[in-house]
Amino acid sequence: MTTGAPGALDLDKLFAARLHAARARPYLATALFALHTVESRRVPTMGVDQYWRCYVSPAFVDATPVEELAGVWVHEVSHLLRDHHGRGDRATRVLGLTGPGDRLRMNIAADCEINDDVFGDGLVRPEGAVEPRALGLDEGELMEDYVRQFRLGPYTQRFAWLDCGSGADGLEREWDLGPDGAHGLSAQEQDAVRFRVAQGITGRPGNSSRGWKRWAEEAFHPPQPWRELLGAAVRSAASGSGTGEDYSYGRPSRRSAGLPGVVLPSLRRRPPRVSVVIDTSGSVSDAELGSALLEVAAISSAVGGRRDLISVLPCDAAARIVHPLCLGEGIPLVGGGGTDLRTGFARALRTSPRPDVIVVLTDGQTRWPREQPPCRTVVGLFPRHHRRASWDEDDPDYVPDSPPEWARTVTIG
Amino acid sequence: MTTCTPFAMPETPAEPALTSQLDIAGELTALLRDTTTELRPDDQLEALTLAVAADLPVLLWGEPGIGKTAALTQLAASLDLPLTTVIASVHEPSDFSGLPIVGDDPAEQGVPMAPPDWAVRLVRAGRGLLFLDELSTAPPAVQAALLRLVLERRIGALQLPPGVRIVAAANPRSSAAGGWELSPPLANRFVHLQWTHDHEVVVRGLGGTWPRATMPRLDPGKLTQAVDFARRAVCGLLAVRPKLVHQLPGNEARRGGAWPSPRSWDMTLNLIAFATAAGSSRDVLSLLIRGTVGDGPGLELLASLDRMDLPDPETLLADPATAELPERGDLRQATLDGVVAAVRNRPDKPRWDAAWALLVRALETGAPDLVVVPATTLAALRQEDWDVPASIEQLAGVVSLSRRADRSADRATARIAVAAQAGR
Repeated sequence: MTTGAPGALDLDKLFAARLHAARARPYLATALFALHTVESRRVPTMGVDQYWRCYVSPAFVDATPVEELAGVWVHEVSHLLRDHHGRGDRATRVLGLTGPGDRLRMNIAADCEINDDVFGDGLVRPEGAVEPRALGLDEGELMEDYVRQFRLGPYTQRFAWLDCGSGADGLEREWDLGPDGAHGLSAQEQDAVRFRVAQGITGRPGNSSRGWKRWAEEAFHPPQPWRELLGAAVRSAASGSGTGEDYSYGRPSRRSAGLPGVVLPSLRRRPPRVSVVIDTSGSVSDAELGSALLEVAAISSAVGGRRDLISVLPCDAAARIVHPLCLGEGIPLVGGGGTDLRTGFARALRTSPRPDVIVVLTDGQTRWPREQPPCRTVVGLFPRHHRRASWDEDDPDYVPDSPPEWARTVTIG
Repeated sequence: MTTCTPFAMPETPAEPALTSQLDIAGELTALLRDTTTELRPDDQLEALTLAVAADLPVLLWGEPGIGKTAALTQLAASLDLPLTTVIASVHEPSDFSGLPIVGDDPAEQGVPMAPPDWAVRLVRAGRGLLFLDELSTAPPAVQAALLRLVLERRIGALQLPPGVRIVAAANPRSSAAGGWELSPPLANRFVHLQWTHDHEVVVRGLGGTWPRATMPRLDPGKLTQAVDFARRAVCGLLAVRPKLVHQLPGNEARRGGAWPSPRSWDMTLNLIAFATAAGSSRDVLSLLIRGTVGDGPGLELLASLDRMDLPDPETLLADPATAELPERGDLRQATLDGVVAAVRNRPDKPRWDAAWALLVRALETGAPDLVVVPATTLAALRQEDWDVPASIEQLAGVVSLSRRADRSADRATARIAVAAQAGR
């Protein structure tokens, strides 16, 4: 198999490295084997394109030990599995990054996302691999977060040689074979490979790192932005039957005059009344509450609710005074200590006229009403993974429930 | 005396204007409209055509202004159906459920629900494509009336004839201001297609060349085979994954989308048969399947279709010398694994030898690292009285490759240990 000619690609070395990589990360084997290798003298090291071809420089393979090549294999396949090409394109549009230097930044940011947990445990970090720490950044973030946090400068000077190909940042390279070249994977085939890898990880999660587990969970169900979900939940609650703008036979339509004998419904408007119950116990930060409250106010006005129809009810162990939102930003969010949202629900339902929708913003460390209140309920939940369940002196065995079935729950943040 | 025109007239015309400004404007408009088309495969349009041909209700999800209506016009032309577009948001519920008309004696004669004129014309024509646009911006009562139209095919007292096909369009939840949201039972009745614009197509189109899609043609010779393939594909998966038969969408992010149920699996089966009979690509099939049963179950089905495509191990073992192995590395390894598993299931000497011959062939035609695992497994299947075949000599390179990877792994472990100590 080995071709002795000087300067030829040492395939044996390259494939021994791939075997090493597949043994060290069995769950990535499908993806590693799906790559089609292309010898290229123009690529500086190793690079991938968006059709899952892997371009390899013979000189780079000669100069690099097998165990480092194994790390490079895993690094390159990670770019493809994590769709850095597609995400790079999207980030470019959203952030308006169009300069040539910006693509290098995108590549460095993508490398940071991969490199913080891809090496170790049988895989050596290749020489010169970029790490978030080398740029003074935190670990465990995504490419889109990293790319905003640094500029090209003295810190990144030594990475300027770096080039993982169009698969890493979306910019076509001169050596790319393009969509018509042989042995490319179609979008559907790429998804199928991603899916098999994700299945392998979720099936046997013990063997994989935290970063890969997170990727596998989100590969086909990316977390939706909570603003949109909360918006959809509040909107659908606020425009259900009886509220919002809808047709009713309660009063004849103005068209009726011209059509004797025909009964027409008329369009009636009844803006929804929204009560926002806010958990002001110590465990929810002001910044989180502020942004969620602003969001609810914006959504309510978008569905036709007037500001005077939105009331805000701070609630910890006891519900306090109901504040109309039109008083502005001066709502005192005082509180602290434990929470009992049941009093908040009761207080909100006692107001006259009764609200059409109750939106609860809480971290969930609370008790919930046993029965469904007579209006739609949306829960905005601030997740608290790291925190122990709150402890109650009177009831030490108490474990907070998850939000009840009848409420639509949106996780915020 | 000057006539009034929308454009400013020069005060003293040098010569009497033979052509009015409006004519010139008309000429300019004609020049702008003068565009050509080019043939370009379009997966989303092909998927839409197949779903419409299979007579399943389709819901197009897409932002306003990205060419959904243009696509429907093209679809109607290619299916040779007259297109009726109904903008849902400008109608009242009674336009779809029928207008109650009170006669002389309602108690005796009842109150008939009169249908709108376009529905009468559609029923009279007996065939057509009904496009319900802007479903999501209509008030809830209108949406409710429309869903009855889509699902029961009734408008007031009228029943739509079978020759009428219905396509609806909605804006994504994030940009739907009117509170549109599909409940899970309703979402389950639709084929959900995400409609996106292709940047390149738009730029070329504005430059004067719009795409023209090739429409899929059902091949009459493939019908029986297509039904057989579709049944095998769906039943093969559901037989081993009973959990996938019915899964209500659990979390908020998946609400309103496609999810698996016996009803949507039946729709999937239909769509696979149609796509197979039309010879459509896997990408088109992927859009249809994932739009009917959702991403997770859809991808599992697609993965099992990929496995159905692999060469049959028994055929390969029967004639190893001319065996065609898949070119793609992961598929090739899956095939070789399948061959070794087939030998394990029914071990005898000729089959074992044939498997070695296949491994040698794999080594000659592709990357050596793929052969390592199947070769190791196959070697372990050896029984005491079996002689090692001569062909195994040719696999010596695989052994040295495997050793090289072992040594590399050892060095890596050592280097990581050293680095960890230095770090401390």
